[in-house]
Amino acid sequence: MPSVCFYFQVHQPFRIKHYSVFDIGKDHFYEDSEKNKWIMDKVSEKCYLPANHKMLELIKRHKGKFRISYSLSGTVIEQMELYRPDVLQSFVDLAKTGCVEFLSETYYHSLSFLYNKDEFVRQVQEHDQRIEHYFKQKPKVFRNTELIYNNELAAFIEKMGYKGILCEGVDRLLNGKHPNQLLKPVGTKSIKALLKNYRLSDDIAFRFSDKNWSEWPLHADTYASWIHKVAGTGDVINLFMDYETFGEHQWESTGIFDFMDHLPREILKHPDFSFKTPSEVIDAYNARGVYDAHDFVSWADSERDLSAWLGNNMQQEALTKIYSISNRVIDAANKDLTDIWGKLQTSDHFYYMSTKFWSDGDVHKYFSPYNSPYDAYIFYMNVFADFEATLQPSGKTTARKKSAPKTTGAKTKTTRTKNKQAE
Amino acid sequence: MRKPKVLMLGWEFPPVINGGLGVACHDLCLAMVKHAKVTMIIPKSNPDFVVKDLNLIGLNTIDSRTLKQVNYKDEYKTFEDVHFIPSELNPYYTERKNAFTIPGVDIHSQYMKEVRIGRKQAKVFHIDDLYGGDVIEKVTVFGELASLLAQTLDFDIIHAHDWMTMLAGMEIKKITGKPLVVHVHSLEVDRGGVNSQGWVYQMEKRGMQEADLLMPVSNFTGNIINEYYGIDYRKIFPVHNGIREVKPFRTKSPYNEKVVLFVGRLTRQKGPEYFVDIAAKVLEKNPNVRFIMAGTGDMQNRILEKVAQKQIGHRFHLAGFLGLDKVRYLLSIADAYCMPSVSEPFGLSAVEAVQFDIPVVISKQSGVSEVLSGALKFDFWDINQAAEYILSLLDNSTLHRQVVDDAAKDLKNISWDIAANRVMEGYKKHGLIS
Repeated sequence: MPSVCFYFQVHQPFRIKHYSVFDIGKDHFYEDSEKNKWIMDKVSEKCYLPANHKMLELIKRHKGKFRISYSLSGTVIEQMELYRPDVLQSFVDLAKTGCVEFLSETYYHSLSFLYNKDEFVRQVQEHDQRIEHYFKQKPKVFRNTELIYNNELAAFIEKMGYKGILCEGVDRLLNGKHPNQLLKPVGTKSIKALLKNYRLSDDIAFRFSDKNWSEWPLHADTYASWIHKVAGTGDVINLFMDYETFGEHQWESTGIFDFMDHLPREILKHPDFSFKTPSEVIDAYNARGVYDAHDFVSWADSERDLSAWLGNNMQQEALTKIYSISNRVIDAANKDLTDIWGKLQTSDHFYYMSTKFWSDGDVHKYFSPYNSPYDAYIFYMNVFADFEATLQPSGKTTARKKSAPKTTGAKTKTTRTKNKQAE
Repeated sequence: MRKPKVLMLGWEFPPVINGGLGVACHDLCLAMVKHAKVTMIIPKSNPDFVVKDLNLIGLNTIDSRTLKQVNYKDEYKTFEDVHFIPSELNPYYTERKNAFTIPGVDIHSQYMKEVRIGRKQAKVFHIDDLYGGDVIEKVTVFGELASLLAQTLDFDIIHAHDWMTMLAGMEIKKITGKPLVVHVHSLEVDRGGVNSQGWVYQMEKRGMQEADLLMPVSNFTGNIINEYYGIDYRKIFPVHNGIREVKPFRTKSPYNEKVVLFVGRLTRQKGPEYFVDIAAKVLEKNPNVRFIMAGTGDMQNRILEKVAQKQIGHRFHLAGFLGLDKVRYLLSIADAYCMPSVSEPFGLSAVEAVQFDIPVVISKQSGVSEVLSGALKFDFWDINQAAEYILSLLDNSTLHRQVVDDAAKDLKNISWDIAANRVMEGYKKHGLIS
């Protein structure tokens, strides 16, 4: 009895403003609040609100048979609190249906697992608290930033008490197996891995509106027939994608919402098929083999590796530097500083510095708020220089404590008022 | 004694400037008018920008069909109508030859434009920027118009600045028989390296061959002219640049670290990559230093990658292209200035640092090293030496003081009045004026 498992990633970073060398030592507020708010508003109107509305409608229409899952980063939740409480409320409404599962991830959507395990644990715990606070459920399944994954992570996550983990179904690791089954990560006892079916996922996420694609225009019945082909050979089809697929990456005019409107009915036409959330999938099926990811994999770009964040010297330096001050931030024991440090760890900052300008470079460019990866590096390192200067070498907050960076919320408000006055 | 009349040919001139050339031409002219009657022809002038005692003519204000100045200020005389004279001006551009050989017909070029000035309709030389587009055509049309215009003017000496005006200078010399002086601020060999060839190099070589007198801005450049262009030293008469006086000031630095500054285009000539190497060396020994690089250029991305590769991005900052105010602000907080130029005809920026009482560490491959005794000098490739100098300057206040004091004395001998006197001396020595 196969099932379909939807997981949507919802994330926005706190983008850094054009922070020049002249700002170092003077301006301790790094966020581009104007841009962050503008993007949050835009994505809310085009995607979050209409998509949530659609999902809620589908859940009600199918009387609990349509089930989905989300992972919301801490930074996007914070931006909803700041700029769009209505969006946050619409996610709470979805949670109340009982048909929606919320997954665990790092609060700051960071690469901390690669650099600092203690910080990783702190961020995961902070994230789960925030999820429980709003959605009244304790996450049981983990997904790491951009589905970055390896055996070690799976074992680590199992020790932290999770029963499942999401990852990319990478062809070279599947060795001819298909991704439509649960697998046991090498080196673990009971945790199960859900593997993304990237072909069927990308049909929606990337190819849906591509007029050069032989299947364009894609209709729900056709797509459902592809899903149904799995009957008899697999347990679960994992459709993992950015939530912004709906309305933002694929505009409403492409018909993406209509497609989604018909899809559950078309899939449920086959009596053997159902929708399940990741936890339900894990409870329903046994692992049918092992998944051996010795090296890190991810869902990014065609390489499915870490090169989108660690592909060049600028990215490597920026990442090394931000984690090199771990002890100094922790010693400072200052909540605001820790929070800013966390926000500087968000993976997007390093993604913007990518110089992979072949086929995937376009994607990098599309998502970047800067003119070039070099600008991204310059602004980030200037910010780092200022932030580092607020920390003392040995720890303890400095004499500059009074002018130390403030929390996002409070400071954002003052900045926004200032902007208003400037206008 | 009658003041000699000098016809200058310039390319960059305030308010249209790209780099040091425009400022140098302007300030030199300003000092020259005390000794000579100077007319300056430039591609583009702004009618609101008037320099006292200087007859400044922008070709954008000259109607090419009648060669009448179309936006007169009171101090300018009206030119008589002049008809076209065919010329062999353009040895490089055969496909445009037609335009030059039909007498009485205006110049056809993408850079000639019908404009309305006041109530008059005129066809003028019109370029948006000095170096973009087809710069060879720009230079050629400038030469043709300037040589036509020159026939309506009275002068004793032609004084051309750099390769952009050399074609005009040669043509005017040919038509009028007046002596040609070429002032050399920068050479293709500085910009492109010693293996430079190509149009610009050839133009420089020919222009300098045909000139009666060459005035490079330093002995360093004089040597390059001799070595790489094969010009006899007897024709070479170096004239060091001057500097405009400024009121230096200090600002409290926002950084906890000492600041080392680089100001210049990020091109091969300026040695920006060496600055990264030097910074990395300094930071190995003293992490409490911040390096700031002001300027932009084709090497920016390479520099950033190098900074990242050396893992010094937290102490090395690119500020981009900055206006004068921002540059002066940086000078006001800097603790040392570094100029690692590979080939620098002069290097005014180092003198500007000296004006702000900042000790300078400069490459020996620069003209300015000839006039600054109060400076620490290194061969541009010797990054260890440069790093050592910077470390010593930042650690040792006695050395710091000594270098700054010595440089302050040097400043007294760097002025545009001295440069103008030297130009007049050169004219005399070479028999161009009595």
